[in-house]
Amino acid sequence: MGFYLLKRLLASILTALLASVLVFLLVRLVPGDVVSQMMGQAGGETAETAMRQFFGLDQPIYVQYAEWLMRVLQGDLGTSWTRGIPVTQLLFQAFFVTLEIGLLTLLIATLVGIPLGIVAAIYEGKPLDNLIQGFNILGLSAPVFWVGLMLLVGISATVSWSPPLRYMPPTRSLSDNLEILLLPILSLGLLQAAAYSQFVRQNVLSALHQEYVRTAIAKGVPVRLIFFKHILRNVLIPIVTFMGLILVQILGGVVIVESLFALPGLGRLLLTAIETRDYPIVQGALLIVVAAAMVVNLLVDLTYRLIDPRVRVS
Amino acid sequence: MSQSVNSTVSPSLVQRARRIASREPGLALGLLILTIILVVALFPSLFATHSPFNIDVNAAMQPPSAEHWFGTDDVGRDVYSRIVYGARITLSICAGSLFLSALIGGSLGLVSGYFGGLADQLLGRLIDVLLSFPPIILGVIITGILGPQTVNLILALSMVYMPVFFRIARAGAMSETGKTYVEAARSMGITEATILRKHVTRNVMPLIFTQYMILFPLILQIQSALGFLGLGVQPPAPDWGAILEQGKDFILFAPWMSVFPGLAVLLASLSLILVGRALQKRVDQR
Repeated sequence: MGFYLLKRLLASILTALLASVLVFLLVRLVPGDVVSQMMGQAGGETAETAMRQFFGLDQPIYVQYAEWLMRVLQGDLGTSWTRGIPVTQLLFQAFFVTLEIGLLTLLIATLVGIPLGIVAAIYEGKPLDNLIQGFNILGLSAPVFWVGLMLLVGISATVSWSPPLRYMPPTRSLSDNLEILLLPILSLGLLQAAAYSQFVRQNVLSALHQEYVRTAIAKGVPVRLIFFKHILRNVLIPIVTFMGLILVQILGGVVIVESLFALPGLGRLLLTAIETRDYPIVQGALLIVVAAAMVVNLLVDLTYRLIDPRVRVS
Repeated sequence: MSQSVNSTVSPSLVQRARRIASREPGLALGLLILTIILVVALFPSLFATHSPFNIDVNAAMQPPSAEHWFGTDDVGRDVYSRIVYGARITLSICAGSLFLSALIGGSLGLVSGYFGGLADQLLGRLIDVLLSFPPIILGVIITGILGPQTVNLILALSMVYMPVFFRIARAGAMSETGKTYVEAARSMGITEATILRKHVTRNVMPLIFTQYMILFPLILQIQSALGFLGLGVQPPAPDWGAILEQGKDFILFAPWMSVFPGLAVLLASLSLILVGRALQKRVDQR
């Protein structure tokens, strides 16, 4: 276990390093940097050179990368070029917004998706199953931002309520915070619930058709016991794996809902930083996103090993 | 002549359609919607009622009516006609980018899986790097940094699912290499390149094609999301995502500007999912 963990960690770190190189190269090889954007037409050549020097853009790329990496290893992601604030501070604030959205979305997706999937599988082929499958397929087809917009229109038209325009952190006022997060979480959560329910249904169904279930029924084991002891236990493993997948999906989806509902999370920070060519933020934000996705995958892998002893052996 | 051809072909076609509809209603529905969308995409001028570009400020933000079925946008363009013309733009960009990812990812995966070795290890590492970004974010970075041009959009979209094709093709090629027919071909003195090209590739193709259909609705979602974020096809082109991007500022005053293009994305995705699923079932049964 220890050796496996070490191997996985090393592989993840290597991948993250390569990803950071990729991002570093991508932002720098594209014409039009922050200096030309800040100076516009007005800038003279001397001023531009001085500013490039100030940002360290006059150095060769590998020197810039090495310097950036050395600082990252010391926990310093640099200072935002357009805002003058340390990137770690910006990311820290944004991260918690995104984390809250992500976890609440996962909560909704799990609470709605898993029961729906189980019910659909139990009532296979019945109207209820068809109804749930209809929900699943609509949820998989609908674009998340569109669902957000439709919820906004629908709710404001029927109950004349619309979300507050300014973001409020949960530490200041939890109710205001939840009020503003309601629509983004609902739109993202319902769509992911559809994916979840679809997946759970398939897995429960295939478990239901296993020989051991038939044997248990033939032996006269109570249905409740079969369900909890045999089926759920076997379905738990893929469900956990899928939870990781959903979390990574949500991580991507927040970029869209954050921009739609003007929430100051990682996604919107990344988008504005890309627009203004604020490289330190872009690099930092992507590092966090990639690292978060990796941590999720690693956790899924470890849980997998905990639930299923067979994986440990192989 | 055409009469006799029709009379022999059409009953069996109708019969087949009926059989599909009764056995697999999902597939039938998906095929029906998909066919309609494809016909609209191929011949938009037959379906559009107005020009998709014609600005008429006097007719701005009108709700749906007999004249403008889906209403008009903020500068008075007919939303219905814009969606009709947008079908071709949106779908061809998705189809083209996904084809590129299948072509590049698939070929790399085939070679990597068939020959293995150091190249396989290195490619696998690179693919892991691409996979470490959530799909949407990869699209956002590439289009955001390179700039919102259609070429960049296609480049970005083709990168998003390239790793998936790589993995599918690689796994397919690896499982084929161990099979007896490859050994037989080798013992007959057929070169490795020929075995890969003529035999292995042909057997892996159905997997790649199925994956193409499975990923199509997903790439459509990403394409429209990028358009919505302003990183996709730029207005005034009537791309579905771009229409949605323009509509979002008027969502409370003119919701029809957003309702209908979103429905177009939804219906296209829906039909593709239904068809893709039926296809997957068949491949799994094999």
